[in-house]
Amino acid sequence: MRSDLKCASGIELLADYLEGLLAKDVSADIETHVAGCPRCTAFIASYRDTPRILRDATAVTLPPDLEASLLDFLRSRRS
Amino acid sequence: MAVAAEPSDEDLAARAAGADEPAFEALVARYQARVYRLARRLTQDDGDAQDALQETFLQVHRKLSSFRGESRFSTWLYRVATNAALMQRRSRARRPAEPLDAYAPRFDVYGEHAATPEELLAASAVDERLDRKRLAEKALDGLARLPDLYREAFVLRDLEELETAEVAEILGLEPAAVRQRVHRARLLLRGYLGALAERES
Repeated sequence: MRSDLKCASGIELLADYLEGLLAKDVSADIETHVAGCPRCTAFIASYRDTPRILRDATAVTLPPDLEASLLDFLRSRRS
Repeated sequence: MAVAAEPSDEDLAARAAGADEPAFEALVARYQARVYRLARRLTQDDGDAQDALQETFLQVHRKLSSFRGESRFSTWLYRVATNAALMQRRSRARRPAEPLDAYAPRFDVYGEHAATPEELLAASAVDERLDRKRLAEKALDGLARLPDLYREAFVLRDLEELETAEVAEILGLEPAAVRQRVHRARLLLRGYLGALAERES
């Protein structure tokens, strides 16, 4: 087991860890570190929440008038 | 169980390439909302998103005969749409956005987090601290302030929720490069959201 895993080096591996791409022993090192590190626990929670928060905040539906004008535009360019 | 199967994208694309206009319009109907949402996330602007939406389907119509089915139709369409949005974004003079570098995680000399657990968790509460309208504005602002290379990968992977391999195909990158860019974007945006939440508390 590596004794040198710090918050900073663990975070470099975080994306690969969350996608399950790391070797088992490396994943185990991360889990051991995080279990004893409230800062990394908090960091990882907010790291995982970030995509969802931004996805929800930028979710838009296509306005109906845009849908109609798109169709008009495309028909005019094809005729 | 006697529901007729919807034609596949590839079936519609083949028909549309043969000047079957209803098939083309069926593809437009199927993808227009996703293309608009993608373009808005890439350009951070309603007008640019509308222009990119039109340009995307104009190009799809022109290029359909060259679509050979090496990729899935949706992957090919996302590539056309991403390029249209990036062209649109570049064509408009913008104020230079202040980069998000200041929001990267900070460590002490021992490589440990400099911030407290409470500070590190702040980003998770941003959607409770800011009202929807303000968070929507700030989200676009955060995307605008990302480096271009990170933004494209983050939007496709984390906001449009495409698989890493598909994002790699769209952007012409290795999957490892996509993961790296998405990771960098998440780090910066996490810090940015955390700072927003703390400012509003």
